[in-house]
Amino acid sequence: MSADHDHDHTPITASEEVSEFEILEVALRELAIERGLFSAEDHRRFKEWAESREPAGGSRLVAKAWVDPDFKARLLSDATAACPEVGIDWNQPTGEGTPSDYTFFHVLENTPEVHNVIVCTLCSCYPRPVLGMSPEWYRTPNYRRRIVRWPREVLAEFGLSISPETEIRVHDSNQKSRFMVMPMRPEGTEGWTEEQLAAIVTRDTMIGVALPDPNWTAAAAPSGAG
Amino acid sequence: MSQPADVARLKEQIAAIEPAIRTPLDGPYDITNDLFRTLMQIDHDLGGEPAVSVQYLEKEELDWELNVYVTCETLGWRHVWNSEERRRLGNCELGRTMYLGIPYYGRWILAVAMMLLDKHHITLPELTDKMDEVRARYEGRAA
Amino acid sequence: MSSRYNVGDRVTIREQFSIFYTRTQAYTRGRMGTVVQQFETGLIPEDEAYGNEDGRVEPFYKVRFRQADLWPEYSFPADTLETEFSESWLLPAREEP
Repeated sequence: MSADHDHDHTPITASEEVSEFEILEVALRELAIERGLFSAEDHRRFKEWAESREPAGGSRLVAKAWVDPDFKARLLSDATAACPEVGIDWNQPTGEGTPSDYTFFHVLENTPEVHNVIVCTLCSCYPRPVLGMSPEWYRTPNYRRRIVRWPREVLAEFGLSISPETEIRVHDSNQKSRFMVMPMRPEGTEGWTEEQLAAIVTRDTMIGVALPDPNWTAAAAPSGAG
Repeated sequence: MSQPADVARLKEQIAAIEPAIRTPLDGPYDITNDLFRTLMQIDHDLGGEPAVSVQYLEKEELDWELNVYVTCETLGWRHVWNSEERRRLGNCELGRTMYLGIPYYGRWILAVAMMLLDKHHITLPELTDKMDEVRARYEGRAA
Repeated sequence: MSSRYNVGDRVTIREQFSIFYTRTQAYTRGRMGTVVQQFETGLIPEDEAYGNEDGRVEPFYKVRFRQADLWPEYSFPADTLETEFSESWLLPAREEP
């Protein structure tokens, strides 16, 4: 806070200093609304949509693909078109997709031969409509620098050891396409319901830095790399 | 008894006093083409740069961060700008120091400011006046 | 719009000097890879970033590289990396004799 307030001003007692970024955001938003660039209602609607995005959407896609081979084929052939089958519409909330996520969604199938992992080295492009907001570490210069060149080291830090014979395929989403990994269904899940399967498909398994574990649930999954 | 954290802090302090030979740049008359290309490198292209292992942390999204994201996307929705313009401004036109020094969503909101000014939707005095007004509102709340 | 490359084509990434903005990563320039998918046609990022709605429109391709071809010290021969390019960033590959 500035030190040049008047002598008879009540001293600022707030223990948390409001960040300059917050001041800037409020100022710009108010000016934009005053200029008619968008409405407060627009902002509210988009925020509501954004807050409702979560990794559970992607988990439902994977779980359904695991139990339904025809859906899996549709998902791998045209992921954007298949998403409405689990209640996700890449065209929302604007009707033509979000400005940053677009509508060109592709699902990458892990197989015994290929392990996929996603990154955006240039910024932090991420399939928000199916996974919600990206984790903080995904946006860091460190992850973006290293995962393309030292994927095995970075995956090992996440606790993932991939055999040298398996192809690690890194996808650097540098244009409008958005990607999500479909991990392989683990052993020990025979007879599970879609809901039970979705619970072990965590956010990190769909980025490609973790594998689904029948002993974990999405609520108790490990977070980040130590 | 010293803890691992004490050793880690000591190692960081030792690394911080490593001698270095620096070539200061303070408005040179001329530079080599090689230095030109180095200086003109596009900031966001980090893939493959050497980096050490660090702990990858989770962070809870703050209210102002969500608001920044929504403001950026709403401006795109209403066709004031597109996301590629946002990426150019926020990821490539801040200069290296700001690119690596300003937090993620801080760069997003700076891009908004740069764009609204460049496209003449607002003027700089209007922005700074509005920031003063907003800041005073927060200070009024804190009092 | 007709596209120049097909899935399976070997391509080399152009080495054009970039200034101010590009989405073609430095680590791909001059490298040889294989087209694995053809994606949508759209405005190239170098134009879209300046709001040039009338800019160049090109097909986009996903290209797969062997990691051992991208990084001097990469030691796992099976590993690959895929990323996308607008058409004018690609040239037909010049295979070594």
